[in-house]
Amino acid sequence: MLNTLFYLIYEFFKIGFFSVGGGYATMPFLYQLIHDYGWYTTDELTNMIAISMITPGPVGVNMATFAGFKTLGIIGSVLATIALIIPSFFFVILISKLLYKFNENFWVKSVLYSLKPAGCGLLTAVGLGFIRDNIKCFPAVCLLLFLFIISFKFKKNPLYYFLFAAIIGILLQIIGIKFV
Amino acid sequence: MSEKVALKDIYFEFLLLGIQLLGGGYVIVPLMQKSIIEKRHWITSEELTNFYALSQSIPGIIAVNISAFTGYKLRKKSGTLAALLGIITSPVITIIIIACIVDKLLQISYIQSVFWGVRIAVIILIYLSIKEMWLSSIKDITSWIIFTFACIASFFLKISPVVIIILSVMFGVLVKYIQKRKNKC
Repeated sequence: MLNTLFYLIYEFFKIGFFSVGGGYATMPFLYQLIHDYGWYTTDELTNMIAISMITPGPVGVNMATFAGFKTLGIIGSVLATIALIIPSFFFVILISKLLYKFNENFWVKSVLYSLKPAGCGLLTAVGLGFIRDNIKCFPAVCLLLFLFIISFKFKKNPLYYFLFAAIIGILLQIIGIKFV
Repeated sequence: MSEKVALKDIYFEFLLLGIQLLGGGYVIVPLMQKSIIEKRHWITSEELTNFYALSQSIPGIIAVNISAFTGYKLRKKSGTLAALLGIITSPVITIIIIACIVDKLLQISYIQSVFWGVRIAVIILIYLSIKEMWLSSIKDITSWIIFTFACIASFFLKISPVVIIILSVMFGVLVKYIQKRKNKC
């Protein structure tokens, strides 16, 4: 158990250190943990992500807490979250001390310039995986397409998407249409 | 601001933010506008914009970073710590409670149907997040190459994200360095 504890802290520290672009950017790392340690299954992670998005709090923190819980219970959830935010603590203090000038330094600028498209590419891979794992029947294709189309109008209020999708799920079950 | 802001006030304000926050990224900005700026007058709108831009470009969760920046401005290291602990308190408690009951909940067939829908909505939110990142990151052929490499290496080749990020940074910095040298000649 101590071993797992150590790896849990180490891995979430690493996630906090390497994920650029906010909470969503931690997803590729959470998937990697399945591969490296098998602390939870792909299905479990998919549900964790969904729950983290409809629960108050920063999505990245929610997911880390959840993953930590799956691995080592309450201790795991607290430690994973703290490990995740420790890099932020140091980055922020360092940057605040440098009086924000760090953004003008050539090397810093070049690193940030390369980090963002990499994070974006990694997240795209997660999105593709989500499509592969969750879009398995005709109703799912229809719902996805419909949500995609209204996303041009609604922009970003996650709540509406979730509510609508949840209602469709329940309706399909009531009507008795088979879906997976 | 002449008087020192109390650490417990910092903790409390960020605790409230953690409770209200739903969704990722930009959502925290309008909430902070109300509480941290209009109610508490701790920072200015300009500082908030600045903190947000910085929080996006450094590693870590955006809401966590922006809280840390605000905390540091108010009370240096101890302020940072108070803000960080504040923002994570409510999500940690909420998620632990949910995690305890989730397996039971998922046995209910209606909840399964709800999750079927929610998982599909997650795809759209990931897509919207990709779109937002895309606009601020894919600007030229080099960033295009890094994006394509990262996506393929992760999805098809299952290479670890850390390795992908290190390779991307090495490539990007090298290209930038060569460009810089060329411009000097």
